[in-house]
Amino acid sequence: MIRLPLLPTVIKNLFKRPATNPFPKTEPVPTPEGFRGKIVYNVEKCVGCRMCVTVCPAGVFIYLPEIRKVTLWTGRCVFCKQCVDVCPTGALQMSDEFLLASYDKYDGKFIYLTPEEAEEIKKKQEELKKAKKKSQ
Amino acid sequence: MKIAYALLGLILLYIYVSIISLLFSGIDRKLVARMQRRIGPPILQPFYDFLKLMSKETIIPSTANFMFKAAPVLMLATVIALLAYTPVGFPPLFATKGDIIVFIYLLTLADFFLILGIISSGNPYGRIGAAREVAMLVSREPAMMLGVFAVMWGISKLNVEKPFSLSSLYEHNIWELGPMAWIAAVVLIYVFLAWLASEIEVGFFNIPEAEEEIAEGTLVEYSGRYLGIIKLAESIKEFIAASLVVAVLFPWQLNMSGIEGYILNLVIHTLKVFVVLLVSKTIFRTVTGRLRITQAINVLWTRVFAASVVGALLLAMGVML
Repeated sequence: MIRLPLLPTVIKNLFKRPATNPFPKTEPVPTPEGFRGKIVYNVEKCVGCRMCVTVCPAGVFIYLPEIRKVTLWTGRCVFCKQCVDVCPTGALQMSDEFLLASYDKYDGKFIYLTPEEAEEIKKKQEELKKAKKKSQ
Repeated sequence: MKIAYALLGLILLYIYVSIISLLFSGIDRKLVARMQRRIGPPILQPFYDFLKLMSKETIIPSTANFMFKAAPVLMLATVIALLAYTPVGFPPLFATKGDIIVFIYLLTLADFFLILGIISSGNPYGRIGAAREVAMLVSREPAMMLGVFAVMWGISKLNVEKPFSLSSLYEHNIWELGPMAWIAAVVLIYVFLAWLASEIEVGFFNIPEAEEEIAEGTLVEYSGRYLGIIKLAESIKEFIAASLVVAVLFPWQLNMSGIEGYILNLVIHTLKVFVVLLVSKTIFRTVTGRLRITQAINVLWTRVFAASVVGALLLAMGVML
C-alpha cells in the first residue's frame, strides 16, 4: 500500500492564495531595519583619514592624497559595513537601495568621485588656500 | 472519397490534439504551481516554449549519426499516424478488426524512435537514460495489453461489429458485463492509471528523464527544433494514452448524429481526458517523488501487472459465468 502524506496538504493549498510576491507588479519585500544596501558617500564630510582604506576587505576605496579624499567603486563592495562603522565623520552611510543591476560595471551609480570631480575639488581647495593667504 | 475525408479528419484531429495537449500541459503546470502555493506560468506557456525552441539554434553533436536527426521527425510522424487509430469520443478514423494491435504497436514505436535518437547521439548519459527507458517500456506495456485485451474480449462476446477494434468500445463497454466485471473494472482503473503515469513518466516513474540523477537522461543532447518536436510529440502521446484509458474504462457518449454530434462527443472526451490526466499526472507528480529504476520495475511487475492479471481473470469469470 502506498502512502501519500502530502495529498491533504496539496489539496488544501490548491484553494489558498499563492504565497508569493509578484515583484515587478508590486513593491519588493520591504527591507528590514539596519539593512545593508548600497554605500552612500558624502564628499563634503570626508576628512581623508584613510580608515576606510585600511578596513575594507574588498578594496573598494582608493585614497587621493592631493585632495585628501577617497574615491570608491562599489562594484566590488561586499556590503560588510565596516567602513561605515569606522568612519569618524559619518561620511559613509548604508542605504536601503538593493536593485543595483546594470549593463555596465563602470556605471555612474557605482562610482563616487570621478577624476573630473576630483579635479574640481582640487581647484576649489587651491582657491580656498589662495584666499586664506591673501586674507593673512 | 472516403479516404480523402478520413485524411481531412486526421489533419483536423492533429491540429486539435496538438493545441489541446499543449494547453493541458499548461494547465498542469499552473495547477502544480497552485498546489505548491506558487502562481505559476501563464496557461499558454507551452506554446511560447514551443515557438522559442523552434527558433533556437539547433546543435548537432559531432558524435551523432543520421538517426539523431531523423528520430524526432519519425517520432512525431508515428504519433500523428497513431491519431488515426485513437478513439477520441467517436470511433477511430481507420477503425478495423483488430486495430488494437496497430495502436499498441505505434504507441511503443514512438518511444523506440526516441530511444533510437538518443543512442545515436553518442552521449553516455543519454544511453543510460535510453537503457532505463527500454526497461520501463518492457515492464509497463504487458499490464496495459492484458487489461485492454481482456476488456475487448469481454466486449466481443456481446456481438460487436468489429471485434478487437477500438471502435467496439463505443458499442458496448465493460460496465455492461455484470457485477463481477464491475469489480474487475475497479481493479483495471488502478492498472490503467498506473500504466498512464508510467507511460507519460511522471511521479514514481519520472526515471529516464531524471534531471537530478543522470543529467536530463533521454533529452541531454537534443536542442532547438528537435527538442521542440520531441516535446510536442510527447504531449500528443500523453493525450493519446489518456484517450485509451478513457475509451476503455469510461466510454459514455451522447448519441447524436451529424457533424455537431462528433464535435460534442470530442469535447466530452477531451473533458474526460483532462480529468484522467489531472489524477494520474498532475496530482500524482505533485505528491510523490521518483522511485529508483529497480524499484519502479519491481512495482510495475509485482503490483501493476499482478493487478492486471487479477482484473483480467475476474473479468473472464464475469463473462463466462
